[in-house]
This record gives sequence, C-alpha cells and structure tokens, in this order.
Amino acid sequence: MELNDANLQTLTEFLRKTLDPDPSVRRPAEKFLESVEGNQNYPLLLLTLLEKSQDNVIRVCAAVTFKNYIKRNWRIVEDEPNKISDPDRTAIKANIVNLMLSSPEQIQKQLSDAISIIGREDFPQKWPDLLTEMVTRFRSGDFHIINGVLRTAHSLFKRYRHEFKSNELWSEIKLVLDTFALPLTELFKATIELCQTHATDVNALKVLFSSLTLIAKLFYSLNFQDLPEFFEDHMETWMTNFHGLLTLDNKLLQTDDEEEAGLLELLKSQICDNAALYAQKYDEEFQPYLPRFVTAIWNLLVSTGQEVKYDLLVSNAIQFLASVCERPHYKHLFEDQNTLTSICEKVIVPNMEFRSADEEAFEDNSEEYIRRDLEGSDIDTRRRAACDLVRGLCKFFEGPVTAIFSGYVNSMLAEYAKTPRENWKHKDAAIYLVTSLASKAQTQKHGITQANELVNLTEFFVNHILPDLKSPNVNEFPVLKADAIKYVMIFRSQLPKEQLLQAVPLLITHLQAESTVEHTYASHALERLFTMRGPNNTTLITAAEMAPFTEQLLNNLFKALAFPGSAENEYIMKAIMRSFSLLQESIVPYIPTLIGQLTHKLLQVSKNPSKPHFNHYLFESLCLSVRITCKANPATVSSFEEALFPVFTEILQNDVQEFLPYVFQVMSLLLEIHSNSIPASYMALFPHLLQPVLWERTGNIPPLVRLLQAYLEKGGETIARSAADKIPGLLGVFQKLIASKANDHQGFYLLNSIIEHMPPESLIQYRKQIFILLFQRLQSSKTTKFIKSFLVFVNLYCVKYGAIALQEIFDSIQPKMFGMVLEKIVIPEVQKVSGPVEKKICAVGITKILTECPAMMDTEYTKLWTPLLQALIGFFELPEDDSIPDDEHFIDIEDTPGYQTAFSQLAFAGKKEHDPIGDAVGNPKILLAQSLHKLSTACPGRVPSMLSTSLNAEALQFLQGYLQAATVQLV
Amino acid sequence: MPTKNVTDERLSKFKNKGKDPAKLRAKRITECVELRKAHKNENFLKRRNLTLSSLPDEEALSPDYIPNEDSNNIPVIQVTHLSIEDIIKDVNSDCRKSQTRGCQAARKLLSQERNPPLKEIIDAGLLSNFVSFLSMDDEPTLQFEAAWALTNIASGTSWHTQQVVEHGAVPAFISLLSSPMLHISEQAVWALGNIAGDGATYRDILIECNVIPALLSRISPDTPVGYLRNLTWTLSNLCRNKNPFPPLSAVQQMLPSLVQLLHLSDKDILSDACWAISYLSDGDNDRIEIVVKTGIVPRLVELMSHQELGVMTPALRSIGNIVSGSDLQTQTAIDAGVLNVLPKLMRHPKTSIQKEAAWALSNIAAGPCKQIQQLITCGLLPPLVHLLRNGDFKTQREAVWAVTNLTSGATVEQVVQLVQSGALEAIINLLQVKDAKVILVILDAINNIFMAAEKLGEMEKLSLLIEELGGLDRIEMLQNHDNEMVYQAAHNIIEKYFSDSDTRGEKVDATEDAFVFQSPDVQKAFEF
Repeated sequence: MELNDANLQTLTEFLRKTLDPDPSVRRPAEKFLESVEGNQNYPLLLLTLLEKSQDNVIRVCAAVTFKNYIKRNWRIVEDEPNKISDPDRTAIKANIVNLMLSSPEQIQKQLSDAISIIGREDFPQKWPDLLTEMVTRFRSGDFHIINGVLRTAHSLFKRYRHEFKSNELWSEIKLVLDTFALPLTELFKATIELCQTHATDVNALKVLFSSLTLIAKLFYSLNFQDLPEFFEDHMETWMTNFHGLLTLDNKLLQTDDEEEAGLLELLKSQICDNAALYAQKYDEEFQPYLPRFVTAIWNLLVSTGQEVKYDLLVSNAIQFLASVCERPHYKHLFEDQNTLTSICEKVIVPNMEFRSADEEAFEDNSEEYIRRDLEGSDIDTRRRAACDLVRGLCKFFEGPVTAIFSGYVNSMLAEYAKTPRENWKHKDAAIYLVTSLASKAQTQKHGITQANELVNLTEFFVNHILPDLKSPNVNEFPVLKADAIKYVMIFRSQLPKEQLLQAVPLLITHLQAESTVEHTYASHALERLFTMRGPNNTTLITAAEMAPFTEQLLNNLFKALAFPGSAENEYIMKAIMRSFSLLQESIVPYIPTLIGQLTHKLLQVSKNPSKPHFNHYLFESLCLSVRITCKANPATVSSFEEALFPVFTEILQNDVQEFLPYVFQVMSLLLEIHSNSIPASYMALFPHLLQPVLWERTGNIPPLVRLLQAYLEKGGETIARSAADKIPGLLGVFQKLIASKANDHQGFYLLNSIIEHMPPESLIQYRKQIFILLFQRLQSSKTTKFIKSFLVFVNLYCVKYGAIALQEIFDSIQPKMFGMVLEKIVIPEVQKVSGPVEKKICAVGITKILTECPAMMDTEYTKLWTPLLQALIGFFELPEDDSIPDDEHFIDIEDTPGYQTAFSQLAFAGKKEHDPIGDAVGNPKILLAQSLHKLSTACPGRVPSMLSTSLNAEALQFLQGYLQAATVQLV
Repeated sequence: MPTKNVTDERLSKFKNKGKDPAKLRAKRITECVELRKAHKNENFLKRRNLTLSSLPDEEALSPDYIPNEDSNNIPVIQVTHLSIEDIIKDVNSDCRKSQTRGCQAARKLLSQERNPPLKEIIDAGLLSNFVSFLSMDDEPTLQFEAAWALTNIASGTSWHTQQVVEHGAVPAFISLLSSPMLHISEQAVWALGNIAGDGATYRDILIECNVIPALLSRISPDTPVGYLRNLTWTLSNLCRNKNPFPPLSAVQQMLPSLVQLLHLSDKDILSDACWAISYLSDGDNDRIEIVVKTGIVPRLVELMSHQELGVMTPALRSIGNIVSGSDLQTQTAIDAGVLNVLPKLMRHPKTSIQKEAAWALSNIAAGPCKQIQQLITCGLLPPLVHLLRNGDFKTQREAVWAVTNLTSGATVEQVVQLVQSGALEAIINLLQVKDAKVILVILDAINNIFMAAEKLGEMEKLSLLIEELGGLDRIEMLQNHDNEMVYQAAHNIIEKYFSDSDTRGEKVDATEDAFVFQSPDVQKAFEF
C-alpha cells in the first residue's frame, strides 16, 4: 500500500463504514480492514489519517483502529511471521510520541495506550530513546504535553505494581529511575510551585492537579518493587510535599458533583496509597514521617463530608489508619484516651451512618444493596473500612474502644427513642456499630462464630431487636426491620435457642413485607436458622417445633415469590428448599398445591434461564417434593411424572442446555422409585438418551450416566428384549467415555451396570470387544484412576460370570493374557482400590480366582497363586496406597473414581449406595477362609504346601486368624 | 506388620510432589539487580584512612600530625600544605628527601576527609614514581609513604584502583609483605585488600601472583592483633565476590587460617573472618561442602550469639548460607545447635538480624520432615509467627517463605501444629501486602495446608477456619489482582475449596444418532 491520497481516501471510506450501525455494512468493512492490515504502510496510513483527516470522527476512529491493530500485531511471536514490517515499526516509533503529544485528548489517550503496548514489547532495548524523548518534554512548560507524557509513563510503568521481581524487570526499573526519577522530582517541585503562583486560576489549577495526580501515581509504581536509592535520598522532598498536599484545600477545586470524585480527592487518595505503601514496606525508612501522615490523614477524615465523591478517599484513608494501628510500634500513636475517643467519634461513627445513597440503594437497587450488605462485596465502602478500623483498634484497645462505643450506642438509641420517625438512622448506625464491635470471626455457614465478650448480645437482642421484629406493621421502618432480621441471622450461633424460636414466627411474618430487602433477609434468616445443627447431628430447630407455623411458612414463602422483583429471588427459593428438607413429611398435605406452583415456575424460568442459583434451588425443591412424598407412598410417583413430564418434554425439545443435567437427575430419581419395571414412557425416551450430541456436553455426562444406570437397573431385561438393537449404541457410550482420562470412570459406572443388570446372553457377542477396548486403553494410557476402575470391573465380572469365564475370555484374546493381567495389574495395583463397596467386590473376585479357577492350580499360572493370595491379604490388612505417580500429578482428575457416580449436583436427588454383592458376602475374610477350605478339601495337601513355601510369615499369621474366625482348617 | 513405617514411606512419596525440591530453597546464588542503597551493615569493600596498628602512635595518622624525630622510624619532615605542583616537583626530583616530602604531602592530601584529589595525583603521573619507591628497601620512609599514598588511591573507584594495578603495584606490594618493618608490611596488606576488594578480576590476579602464601606466612602467634585485623580483612576480600568465585585451590589455602582466626577473641578479626566464611559459603553445595568440612560450623553457630552485631551478622549469614545447602549440610548446622540460637535472633531488636534469621529458618523449613520436626521441637514456630505478625516487610517475606517451605515438606501432623501455632492466621493477614510474589507464596502455603486437611478429611473445617480468619474475602479479592499468576492461584483455591465442584471433560469425536461400538480389527499384542 502506497502512502498516497487514493489509499487515504479508501481507508477513510472503510473506517466510516465500520461505524455504521447496520451489521451488513459494518462487518464487510471490518473484514476488509483486517484483510489489508498486513500490508506495509497500513499503520502509517492510519497515523496520517488520525493526524490530518478533516473529519474528527474519522480521526478518532483511525486512532482506535490503530491502537487495536497494534494490540493484535505488535508482539512478535516465536515461529510466527512478523506481522508488521520493520520499516513500519521504526517509523511508528519515531513518530508516535510527537503525534500523541500534539493530538487532542481523545486521540492522545488511544496513542498513549498504543505506546504502552509497544513499550511493553520494545522498551527499553528496542526503544532506547523513548524515555529521554519523554523527559525532554517536561521542560516544554506546556502541561497539555506534560500530562500526555505522564499518562504514557504511567501506562508504561504501572506493571511494576504487580509483576514479580526479576533481574530483567529490575534492570528496566533501574534504567527508568536513572533517566526519569530526577526529572520527575524536579517536575513535582515545579508543579507545586506553579500551584501556588496560580492559586487563583481555576483552569490552570485543574491542569496542574491532574499532573500532580499522575506524578503521585508514577511515584507509586516506581516505588512499588523496592525502595529505590534515589527516592530514599529524596524522601524529604517527596514526603514533605505529599504531606502538604494532603492538608491543602482550595475552594476553587471543590466540585459541586456529589458522585464523581474531584481532582483534589483523586490526588489525596493516591497520596494515602503512597503513604500506605511506605508504611507497609519501608517502615524503617518511613518511620520519621509516619506520625505526621497519621495526623494529616486523620484530620482529613474529620473534615471530609458524607458525599459519595469522597468514598474512595475516605475508604483509602481509613484503611491506612487501620493498617498502621495494628502495628505494635505505632500503638502509642493511638493509645491516648482522647485520641481513641475522637477517632471513634469523628472517624468511625460518621462513616457508619446510613447515607441517602444507601437509602436509595435499599429502595431501588435491592440486589446491589444485598450483595454489599449480606454477601460482603462491600470491600471498598466506607462502612467496611470503618469496620476494619474498629477491628484494628480492638487488637490493642478492645476494652476502651468497647466502652467508648457503648456510650455512643446508648446515646444514639436514646435519640431514636425520642423521635423514631426522624431519628431511625441513629438506630441503624447503633446496630451496625454493635455488629462491627461484636463480631470477631464470621462465616457464611455459621454467621458470627466468635464475639467480643464485652458486648451483651442477648440483652441487645431483647431490648432493641425483638421490639422491631414484633412491631405489627412490617412495612414501617423497613431498614430497621432489615437490620433486626440481619442481627438474628448473623448472631444466630451466639443467641440462645429460645430467642431464636421466638424469632422464627416473626421472621415468617416479615416474609410478607413489601420491601425486597426485608423479605429477602427474612427468607435468608429462616434458611440459615433451619441449617443450624443441634445436638446429635440433628437440626437445632425441629420439624415438631415448626408444626404450628408450617402452613404460614409455606404460604408466605410462595407468596413472597409473587412480589415484583422477587419472581426469581434465590434467597426465597433456597428457603423453600430448606423448609421442605426440615419439615419432611409434614409438607406432604401441601404438596399437591405446591407442586403445581413449582412446575409453573419451572416452565416460566425455562423460557430464559437467567438466575442459576434460583434454578438450582428450584430443582432441589422438586427433588425434595418427590422424595418426601414417595417415601411415604411410592405409588404417588406417577402423579409427579404426570405433573413434570410435560415441562421436561418442553425443556428437552427446546434443548434448554442449562436445565438438561437437572432434568436427567430428577428423572433418575423418579425412575429409581419404580419397583423393578420400567414404564413405557421412559422406554420411548431411551434411544434419545444415546444421542452423541447430548454426550458432547460434559455437564450432561454424570447425570446421563446415572440415568442410564437407572434404566439398566429397572429395565435391563426390557432393553434386552425390546431394544436389543440399542445395545451397540449403549456400548458406544461406554467406548466414548472410556477414551477420555477425565470421564473413564463414568464409562466404568455404565459398564458395571450393564454387566450387573443385562441378561448375560444379550451381551455374549460384545464381551470380547469390551475387553479389547479396555486393554487398548490400558496399553495406551495407564492412569491410576483407570486402573482402579478396571480392577473393580474385572472383579465384578468374575463375581457375576465366574472365575473360569474370566480366565477364558482373557486367554481367548491373547495367549497367557490372564497371567499377565494378574501379574502386572492385579497383584501390584489392587492396594490402590478405594471405597468399601469397591474393595468388597475386589476381595470377592480375587477369592474366586484363587479358589474357583482350575488354571490357577494346574498351569503355569500356579506360580501367581501365592503372590495373589499375599496381595489379597495385604489388601485386607495394609493401609490403602494413595500414592500417585509423579507424571500423573498434573492430570486433571475431577472426581475420584468410585463405584457410585460421584456427581451429585443436586444434593436432594442423591441416590443410595449400591452394593452389587450385598448381603451375599458378609465378611470377605471369612469368605476367603471358607473358600480356601473348600479348595483344600478338593485337592488335599496342596494348599498348605503352597502356603508354607512362599507366603510371608506376617501374611500367614493374618490368614490363620481368618481360618480361626471361620472355624475351618486347611487340609 | 509395621504399618506405621509403610505410612511414613508413603508420605515421603508425597513430599514436594510435582515440585523440584531444590527450588524450594531460596538461595542467593545469582547476584541480583538492586534498587536499594547498598547494605549498610556489611563490611567495607575498600578502606581509606584506617588505623594502621603497627604504628606505635595512632595520632600519626592524623593528616595534621607532625611526628617527632627519633620517636620512631619516621623521620621528621616538615610539611606544610604543598600544592600539587610542588608535590610533582618534589616527587620528580632526584633528592630522596624531596621525594619523601612530596610523597608524604601527597599521602596527606589523599587522606583528607573530603574529596581527596585522587584523580589529580594520577593525572600528574605520579603513580609510576610511587610504585618505583615501593621497592626501595633502603628508604623505608619513602617506601612507606608511597605505599600509603597508593593505598588511598586504590581505595577509590574501580577506575582509581585500575590505575594503581596498571602501574605494576601488585608484585611490588606482594614483595613488601615480607618487609621486616611491620608497619610497611601492614601497609601492603591494606593496599592489597583494597585491590582485592575491587572485584573478581583483580582478586584473581592477586591470587595468581601468590598473594595468599605471602599473606598467610605473616600469621604467627606473635603477630600483633592490629596487624591480624588488617590481614583478616584482606583475606576476606580475597574470598569475596562471585561470578566467578575465587578458585577452589585458593579457598583451600585460606580456609585453615580462617578457621584458626575464627578461634581468636578479637571482635574485628572475628567479624572479618566470618564475612570471609559467608562469602565462601554463598554458593552451590560444593562450595558449602568445603566450608562444612573444616568443622567450623559449631563455632559459627556459637558466634551467632556473639554480643557484637559485627560478628553476629556475618556468622548468621554464613550459617544461613550453609542451611541453604543439602539436607546433610543443613543437618550439621542443626546438630551444632542452630535451632537453639535462632529464636533469640528472631526476636533481636535489629530488623536486619530478624530478616536473616527468618531467611535461615526458611531454608531449614525446606528440609525433610525430620528436620522440620526438630525445628518444631526446638520451639521455632512461636517466633516464626511473631515475625509474620510483627516483623518488618522484608522479614515477613522471609517468614512467609518459611511457612510455605514447611507446608510443602511437612507431615500432616506438622502442618496441623503449624496451623495451631497461629501461622495460618498470620499469613492470611499478609495477603494484603503489596508484593505479588509474597501473595503467591502465601497462596501456595494455603494450598499445601488444604492438601494436608484433605488427608485428614478436614477440608470443610479448614475452609470455615479460613473464612473466619477473613481469608476467603481476601482470596476472593485477589481474583481481581493484575498479576495473572496471582489471579489464577486465587481462582484455583476458590474453585477447588470454596465452591461446589464443577465438572469438566474432554472432547471425543463422534457422530450419528448413537455412538458406534467397535474396536479396530488389527492390533498389536498387549503388553502392560
């Protein structure tokens, strides 16, 4: 591409088209640009346009396109072609700084980004003069240019804040310091002087303060990795000026905007960060300055207003104090009673107050409010910072701080008591203060687990929380109601049970509150109370204790779902799930109505699943309805099928991907309830379950395997009889799963069910192939997980078909295969098998091989007999071998293999442990003794002689024990 | 059956699985780029205006001092402040007296506190004169003044030292070592120390010129303490610097004498001898082995408790280096009682001592579980936790390494003890430090602790504990960290231990309505 007007014209056309809202115009233009971007001069054409185009829109568009082009292409990847020609690279680097600095701000920002992308690759080696070029601009005196330089430097250097120390990185920083640190310091001093000379010129001040903010940011980046010699030597200059700026106020720079932080706030905020950095990392050197900063920052806090625009500043400033007050050698700065009192009074209390912004969020943006207040995403809020400061101060001054706050709490409560309507916010702050003071450790699962012993939580509950909960009008003072509910919820582990029981019906009433936050909190509190553990691993609150409130609870929960804004409220749905689980059979009378509401809900959300948690709890609730009802009366399963299948069919037909794993699990649950026959409605679905497309989605695999297992268990015969043509498809699923290291255990679950439940004759023609596939996998990729599953399967096969059948099928695949498997796999690896059912299967299988397989006695396999017995005894007596070979350490092993499907996304759809051997064998050690006894009577003398020649002494001793326990003797 | 042993053996298989144990040891092998000021408490590379012990009167060193005739070997020469031009004239004259006067005037100029005119003297071309004076055994005063002047020049920058060497001063100084005049010999020791201190290149040139036997031959029971101090310092500079290290043969030559010096009681000698050992042990395991073999480890451990900071610091550094070596080398330090000394050093008022002690501990913690057990039994966990909580940042960083190293090699029981000692709480608090590497190392430790909890079946308990300690919030926040590895590590912990497990799998090709169940007809024989 030539650098000529025609090309500039063409490019302009296409750039304009990329802004077109119509995709049929936009897309081809984007494609065109991509197709020509490999040409030499393309980037230079863009630079020309962004500099010279008459049309401002095109200039900006060219700048953005240029930046994206640089982002995609500048990096030279090894073994890949260089996507930008060297002359272009050189030309770009030669011009871009100038261009950036002379462009208007919108374009300057794009070019500045581009410079930092290029810098990331080329600086310093391949772009040695960049810094000097930039530094010379400091002398220009033009702050538009200076700010451009500073911004670019910031984007180049900010990575020093998060990258790991390395010689390469530090060499770069050293180089930057050598050329940049002194000019930056000079610029800093000069800028501050200019601020004084222009103290009355608001426009000049604005520019100068943005420079100062950028300079402060650069300071942070350059000082982040370690304290550079230069800055240690110039600490006086920097810190004195930072300190001065912190205490500076200029009316001209104050903004009217309440939300957006102004220049003063941004600068001071950054200075707080800088001070915090020094206090944390360079304590020794910073110590002389620290007290001054503590005073300045704390004065700053006292004089800063409640507006949102100060939030970041205040939160940074408080965090600074919080981090300092915890350090033993600064304890003395806070120790004085007056200091403590005024920190509490002037810093903590004001920042805990409920602000109008909080009130707005409470009413109009309840999700955000809940996320902040309940789920702890309040990291950078003032309240959180104030809480952290309380906790920091409590480390050394718990007693005094508690005493000071008790005074405040009392006076705030008194204020509230005088005129609740005007002063309800005082009570809110009081509750918040008590909470932050009392809570020393907290988890989602248990609420507050460790409390400040100096705070009487029960008394506060009785005197100040309970009255609010009892007030007849649930819609009055919703914030205080929410506070009260939250108090119960988070202090649940600290409050005595009778208080909690007293709260339960009140919470149920609050489910009817119109405020979203309030009824959400009530749901959440109930859900949490219902999960509390009492003695003997039962729930703390029992179904019997809930009996008087059951109907109202269920009613109110479902009614709450009807509030606008709560149609898919996950807290309510979770409370429904938990109530079902707690109440158990007492919900049965209500199920006929409730199941209708649940399926209706399901139908609605399946149109556009958007709340994964809500949906999950909805399915859990469905499972609970089914289980609880069918436990009492299995025949009712058909009524559930009637209610659910239409919705399920719709979900399957519309391929609602998020819901398929759930549907399969609920279907498994339903099918498993049927007694030993498989309804035709299920059989009709069977072929569809084998469709590869379903198995390509990994989330489907565990629930589908489980569903197929249920099919086999209930309908193995039926499948063999009426769907024999589907057997290859079923085995095809097994083959697919077995090929994957991640899913092979799922393949074994399926295969085990096939072997266990399908009539043997239906499988004859496939058996050999099954083993060949397993051997192939064993040969190509032998992982521990595969071997464990393989051993369980082989032994299950032996139990089911007999040891002779096992030996014959092995040897029919390859001569001496049986011996090789015993020697190379079974004997050395059986110790790794885990899980009680799996172990039992292996023990019984090996016993059969030892005692019911003539080839073990009379052929060259005989030499394996004693080692196999020894391995079996070790299997009984030694700890499980849970070692994993080194090279397997990094394989992602999602689920540990077991005989059961470990996947249990729906907790309440879980199925019982299945034991294919069951009571047939009570104690495998006894079975071994009895079987050996039987073998020895069949060929007298041989067994004892084999034992005495090569079984080791300890193993022999254990074996004697088994024989004694079984009261048999070997002959 | 010996069940317990079987378990232990299994556990040892788990130790550091998937990791290279050697990497756990935070060794100082490569010289790192430094942003900070050079260490303040390490000993000097070069010295000027040092007390020369062999001079009977220390005041003689004052530049304004005019010695009296007959009081010693130095004749009185009245020196007013001569200008450089006068000095040049004097030194270049044929008259010994003038030469001596010029030389002494030059030496005094070079000894002045501020801005000595090193370059001016060099530019005046006086160095060749000075070097030639060195060999004038019959003019001991001139010899001495020249040696002193050259010493001061050599104490300057590398360029200054280079000038001295290039004028042939090295062989002249080495022969001066055997001067019968103690103060002249000592001046040579000092000059050679400055040259050796310049760097590996000159150090090795000196070694090739056989400086070591010449130096060592001056050590005898009668050698005055002051002389020995200088000599020890020069030896330490001959041990100093890496890339390359001093030749092994030289090290072998010096070590017996260093060991001997380490058994003296003078604090300055001890300090420099310890520094020498610290340089020699600051290398790979082979270098460490040479030091350990001398049997000096118990003495070094003893010196770690020396009341002088100047001795304690290099002794601690040496032991720190040694425990960064192999498990066996570490064991010699443990056997010598290092674990009984470290707790005191970890609570030392100087933060630099705390840091070095924590560093040493981190290397011991990287050892096998038997050594970890010794560490625990000797009560090192409480001071470790103390440092995690109260140390300055550099110390905390080393202490964090100690925790992570320990968690990757310890038995489950040992990890439990660590958690109970409060270390978990302390490292969680440190997740807010402004240093990506430290954060990553902490996340590693948390992961290791989870692995131990997994074996105990106490994953849930640990998750709750971490949440209570505020760790969950912090780790969740780290998912926003700009450092990719930190983000990933935090994310992995959250995914693995704090959320319901997700399932994943891999793609396997398939088509049609059902999978085709088949195995290839042709196949190789199976062999497992």
